[in-house]
Formats: sequence, C-alpha cells, structure tokens
Amino acid sequence: MSKELVLENLTKKFGELIAVNKVNLEVKEGEFVCFLGPSGCGKTTILRMITGFEIPTDGKIWYDGKVINDLIPQKRNFGIVFQSYALFPNMTVGENIAFGLKMRKFPKNIIESRVEEMLNLVGLTKWKDYYPAQLSGGQQQRVALVRALAPNPNVLLLDEPLSALDAKIRIRLRAEIKRLQNELGKTMIYVTHDQEEALSIADKVVVMEAGVFEQVGTPLEIYQNPKTSFVADFVGTSNFFKGVKEGSMVRVGDLLLKVASANGVNEDRLILAIRPEKIEVGKRGTLKKKYKENIFSGRLDVATFMGVVVRLMIELNGNEVITDVLYTDYEELGIKNGESLEIYLPPNGFMVFPDK
Amino acid sequence: MANKSENFAVSTTPPTGIISDRQIVILVSLLIGFILFFFMLFPLYSILKMSFLKNGHFSLASYYKYFRTPRIARSLHHSFYVAIISMIVTTILAFFFAYALTRTTIKGKNIFYTIIMMPLISPPIIQALALILLFGRNGLITAHLLKTDWSIYGAWGIIISEIFYCLPHALVILYTTLSAVDTRIDEAAESLGANAFQVFWKVTVPSAKYGLVSAAALVFNLTITDFGNPIVIGGNYNVLATEIYSQVIGLQKFDMGATISVILLIPSVAAFLVNYYISKKSFSLISGQARPFLRPSRMWKKIGFTGYCILISACIILIYVTVVFGSFVKVWPYDWRLSFTHYNFPSIGGYASLWTSFWIAIVVGIIGASLTLVSGYIVEKAKPKGSQLLYLLSVMPAAIPGTVMGLGYILAFNRPYYIFYGTPWIIIINVVICNYTLGMLSSITNLKQIDKSMEEAATSLGASIITTFTRVVFPLSKVAFMQTFIYYFMRSMVTISAVIFLVSATVHLAAIEIIYLDMDGRMGSANAMATVIMVIVLSFLGVVRFIGKKKFSSPQMQQSSV
Repeated sequence: MSKELVLENLTKKFGELIAVNKVNLEVKEGEFVCFLGPSGCGKTTILRMITGFEIPTDGKIWYDGKVINDLIPQKRNFGIVFQSYALFPNMTVGENIAFGLKMRKFPKNIIESRVEEMLNLVGLTKWKDYYPAQLSGGQQQRVALVRALAPNPNVLLLDEPLSALDAKIRIRLRAEIKRLQNELGKTMIYVTHDQEEALSIADKVVVMEAGVFEQVGTPLEIYQNPKTSFVADFVGTSNFFKGVKEGSMVRVGDLLLKVASANGVNEDRLILAIRPEKIEVGKRGTLKKKYKENIFSGRLDVATFMGVVVRLMIELNGNEVITDVLYTDYEELGIKNGESLEIYLPPNGFMVFPDK
Repeated sequence: MANKSENFAVSTTPPTGIISDRQIVILVSLLIGFILFFFMLFPLYSILKMSFLKNGHFSLASYYKYFRTPRIARSLHHSFYVAIISMIVTTILAFFFAYALTRTTIKGKNIFYTIIMMPLISPPIIQALALILLFGRNGLITAHLLKTDWSIYGAWGIIISEIFYCLPHALVILYTTLSAVDTRIDEAAESLGANAFQVFWKVTVPSAKYGLVSAAALVFNLTITDFGNPIVIGGNYNVLATEIYSQVIGLQKFDMGATISVILLIPSVAAFLVNYYISKKSFSLISGQARPFLRPSRMWKKIGFTGYCILISACIILIYVTVVFGSFVKVWPYDWRLSFTHYNFPSIGGYASLWTSFWIAIVVGIIGASLTLVSGYIVEKAKPKGSQLLYLLSVMPAAIPGTVMGLGYILAFNRPYYIFYGTPWIIIINVVICNYTLGMLSSITNLKQIDKSMEEAATSLGASIITTFTRVVFPLSKVAFMQTFIYYFMRSMVTISAVIFLVSATVHLAAIEIIYLDMDGRMGSANAMATVIMVIVLSFLGVVRFIGKKKFSSPQMQQSSV
C-alpha cells in the first residue's frame, strides 16, 4: 500500500564527469528526506533525475513498484519547488496556483475552491489577485510551495527552496515547510547545502560528496556519529588532528592523547575529530584538579564575539583548536589574546577515522 | 480541510496529446531547418552551380572570363578600395563619437545618439541622394555655388555615402564596448602617473580593441555588400554588388552574375566571421560589475568633443534636410519654388508601391518575429540533437550579401512550378531569411533571460511544451517579439539589394522605386519617395511605441528579481 520511492544504483554521467555514482536509497511514503552536500556534489542532479528533467545514465528509479526512468515529467505527478521560485510573472498568484489544476482539466468550481484552500494553507488569501512581482521573496516562495502542492503530487521535491531568502525569513519558512509536511503527510525530498537547515527539518539526512552518499541517517546520527571525516567536517564544526597509535594512546605531534574509541579503527594512522563544544578551557592549574588526562596548555590567539557564545581560537602545540564558550564564562575566565590557558580534550569526545 | 480535498485524494496526471513533446520539438526543428535549407542554402547552391558548371561539366571558364575582362575585373579592386577606406574612416569616426558619449560628461548625449541612429530608419541610399543634390553634376555646392565641373560621382561619392550609412552600426558596437569596460582602469592608470594621452592610447584604446576590430569588420561587410549607394552615386565606378546587377538585369548574363557573386561572397563571409567571433569574445569580457562612474571632464575635452559631435550630427541632419527639401523644390538647384509636383509619382509603381511595401513589411514583421522566436526557443531552450546545426544555419544569412541572395533566388526559383515566384511571397520569404541572423540572436538573448526553472515548473505541473510556450514563454517574450517585429518591419520597408532582383511587373516596392526614379532622371521624385518611406517608418514606430507603452507597463511585466 505504501508508495515507496527507490533509487537503485542510480548513476549519471555528463561526458567524462560522473555526477552521481551508483547511489541507493529508499524513501518511504510520508518521509522527509534531505540531501545535504557542498555545491557540485550531485544532489541537484539526483533531484532532477527524480523529476524527470535528467535521464539516468545507469540504474533505476522506482516509484510505487514501477521503474519510472523513462516516464516524462508530466506523467510522474511530482511537485517541484525551485530556488528561484519560478513563479509565472505574467499570471496572478491565483492563476499560478490554478495552473497545474487547469492542466489536469479540473472543473472550474473545484479549481477555485482548491486555490482558496491552498492560499489558506499559507495565509496568503488576500494576495490572490496580485502578481508575483508585488510580493516579497518569502511570500513568493510560499506561493511556489502551494502551487506545487495544489494538484496533490505524490512527492514534493524542493531544490534549495530557501537559499535566495534572507536569514530570518529562511528560518520562519523552514518551520512552515515542516508544519505543512506534518499536516499533509506528504513525501518530501529536499536539497540544500545548509547543514543547519538539513538537520532541523529532515527525518532522514543524506550527506553527499563527489557523487556518492557519505552517510544516510537521522539528523542526530549524522551529527553525533559521523561515519567519515568528511561528514564530521561538513556537518557542524570539528577540530581535526592527524595522529598515530602509540600503545593505548594516540600521538599527535608532541602531544600524547588518550582517545576512548581509538581501537574502533584498525589502521595505525588516524584522523581525530572533536567538536568545539566538547572542549573545556580554564585558567592555568584549574583543570588539573578536575581531570586526570588530556590536559594541555595552550595560548589564546583570538577570541571572536558571536552573540551568546565567544569562539576561542587556541594555539596548541602547532595545532589550531576552536572551542566555543558562553559569553558569561568567557568574562569569568578573564583571559586576553596571547595569554596562556589550560585546555581539556575529553577522551570520549573524540571521533576517530582512518587516515587514508 | 478533509472534505474540501476529496477531489484530490487520488493522484491525477494531466491528459497527454497524441504526439509527445520531443516529437513536437523534432518536427518544428525539421520544419525550420527545411525552410533555411530551401530558402538559403539552395539559392546559394544554385549560384555555385551556375558559376562552376558549363554544359554540365565543372569549369572555371566564367572566372577566367571575369579576370580577363578589365572593365568587369576592376570591380573587385574597386570594392576593396571603397570598403577599406570606408572601414578605416567610419571606425575612427564612430570610436570618437562613442568615446564622447560614454567617457565624457558633455551635454546632449541623448540627442547626439538619436541623430546618429537616424540612418537606420531610412532607405540605405539616402546618403547618396543627398550627396548628389549637394555635389552632383547639378549640385547646389558644385554647380551652383562653386560653378565647377567636378562632381562627386565615383569612388569618393560611394565612400562618403557608406561612411554615413555605416556610422550607426559601428557606433552601436563601440558604444557597448566602451560602456562595458570599467573606467576605473583609466583612473588607475592616471593615479600611476599617466597623462591624458597616455591613458587614451595605452589603456582606453587597447581595452576597446575587440570592439574596434568587430566594428571594422562589420563596416567592411556592410560596405562591400552594399548595393544602393554605389548604384546611385557610383557612376561608371563599378563595384562587385552593382556589377552583379548590371550583368544579370542589364545583360542577362546569369553565369557572370553568379561568378561575381561567388567572388563577393569570399570577403563578405570572411568579414562576417571576424565580426562574429570577435564580438562573441568581447561580450564574454563584459562584466556586469563595471558600473561606470564618470568624473566631470575637463573644459577643453568637453568643448572638443561637443564640437566633434555637433559636426557629425550636423552632417547627418544635412543629409535628411537636403533630401526632404529636395523633394519639394521645383527644379533643383535652379527654381527654388516649393511644390508637390515630385509627389506625383508615375502611375507604374508610385503610391501603389508604398502600399505594397507597407503590407509586405507587416507580414514580414509577423512571420519574421514568430519564426525567429520559435527557432530561438529550439536552439536555446529545447536543444534537440542537431540544434547546433540549426543555429549555424540561422546566423549564416548575415554573411551573405543581399545581391547574392537576390540572384540566388532567381536562379533557384524561376521555375513554373514554384508558384510563389513573381508574387509578393517570394519577397516576404527573402526579407525574412536575409535578416534572420539579427532576429534570431535577439530572440536568443531574450530567451536566455527567462529562468530555465520557469519552464520546468510548468512542465512539472503538467503543461505540454506547446502550453508552456504559449502560456509562459511567449507572454514573457512579448517585448522582444515586438522589437524583432519592428526590426523586420523597418528592414523590409527600406531594403533594396536582394529584392531588386525579385520585384516584377506586378509587384513594386517603394524603396526600389527610388532607384528606378533616380535612373529615370526623376531626382525630385526619388527624394519624395525616400521622404514618404521615412515618414511611414517614423509614424509606424511612433504608433507602436504609443501602444507598447500602454500595454507593457502593467505590473506583471516587471520581472521579479531574486
């Protein structure tokens, strides 16, 4: 009964360039999946293959038990929301929303009530007879959203829908999209390069790099247990160290670190990553009392005020380490740029990857 | 919500037509390809065949004959002489004019720009007509004031006419180039210690080099292919374009006409290619960022450039005043009484030709604008296999001289089974094809501005390609469509070179009548006909502008900017 969208060994080549390389994914009905990756990683190409604007070089796209590789876009009944909104400037808001319904030859009265219903959904009822150019960016994207939803598509595909908007509206609209998804129970596939957006909105995040899936998982899994150093780097902020196993410890330059999960990796050469919020800093001598190991002394290079927190850049034996502390804590710490401090890297805070 | 949405409980897809989008694109591409093939390549092929075949065998006899007949062979030398001098002078004049309009803070820029663009709306022989009135055998200045026997007929007459005919074309290119280059590099050079002349020669001129080459190539192409001015003012000084006409229409020597056509094709295609590739290159250099900020120019610079612009503008105005005035003067330059006698055109042609020209121009405008819009869509948006070939065919016409195309049409279509031959339709087709390049390029430029996702949105909502085109693409191209329509209309009203071969005993065109009237020695009527054509074109432009302003200023045309 449930209509699944399945990508099977999906591949797309543009000449020599392999944009998407044998990816596999299952999207359940009603699921909110987010493709996350840097520009050029192939996420938009996958979306365009699902919509039917690109034909896969190899592999299959299944929907509801059928291969839809060769189905023309009009027959897929997938709605799309574009980064540039792509509203028809020569039609009013109402006409834009009615467009897909007219194409399906619905009777006039049904079209009208559906348009009203859609406008209601995003609170734009009184803008029905305005032209897109008269609306703000956020309003335009709301119209684009319900225009795509109006003909009741099987899947809604959103291609960086919020990238053209400014930060505050982006966050508001993000919540609204999530609310709509919950209300309508619609399968949604969302492409973005903004990790915060991906983590906050999706049920399932697919992190992509160079045409392959680096990791597929819930936002929490992706953040807490990144499978590769790329994911650790791309999602959230991490400090990276190159190290070599030395007995039960890991050597990073002159430092000898205790790393809880070092044995999870077979190789001797490791990449260690640690999130800024796991790191603790204090005045000289204060941390030694609290912890047994992994206490080092470093020098504060720069402190950058970022609102609630202050980002500290600390020089630690030739490595640069970033950590965030609350502004109040920073004040209490009372350390100026160039002064030395104590830094604690908790052994169980490290993520460990093989160094290839 | 649930009860309202019951119609949408199941997913629906739109009904699809009998043929798919892809098939439609292929069909339309084939149709346009066929049109260009049949009405452009086939006439060219007919010319090549005529020039190289004698009694069914390959032969260079025509070429041998061409170079062994001194009177005819001279035309090659003449054409190059005229074209090269016109090219150098026009490019330099246009460059300084463009410089004044873009890099100085002189007053009256809009007026100067409008004046220098005037030749675009008039028959391309008006320059020669004016020169004859002023410097001809009965010229106001030569015969009347200076009482000299010297007259302007010949090389210099052609060159001066060509300079004023080509000025607007060269100016458009140089104006674009100079406004695109960032003026801050001039300021940087100054801050590094260069004086005004050093900045000009070492920075400004080199930064405009692509524009200069492109403008020069275009002027060369326009001049070497021009027919109207040389036929009116050339006298015995024959150039390639006029020699084709004399051979074919005067002497019925089609093989010689075809041979000269091939000879003319070589430099004109070469110049076209230079212009085409260089302008492509130069447009890629234009950064959208360069917002020119102009400091007030120094006094001497302002005075100098204002004087220069006034001088050039005065010459252009003089051309128009002379022709218009000449059409009212009873007997130039002896009887200065004003009258309308010259407006009594002989019964053949005459006012009927104006009507024919007008309705043909309207039809040309509609067909030309529609066809170039659709082919632009195929090449820029639909991109089926082989669309590059279609693009190549579409830009070719600008390389082919009008006289060559005209002769090609005679050779290709003067057969009883081509029922359109000898009717206005062959003229319509010819004008559409001859001006295809610019229509096509402007249509592509316009379509490039339409966001690709706009069409994809329509497609994903279920629209077929035809619905997408009629409901989305066309409404967004209305302004460009009107511009192309106007361009075609103007070209059709004033064009001479190709259609002079295609007018017949029953189909007369006003612009061609100017030449016939001039050949008959009815100089005053030739001026009158030129004047009426300009009045028609100007009034038509005015009407279109007026309607356009009302229609296109509604809010939906203000494209949303992201």
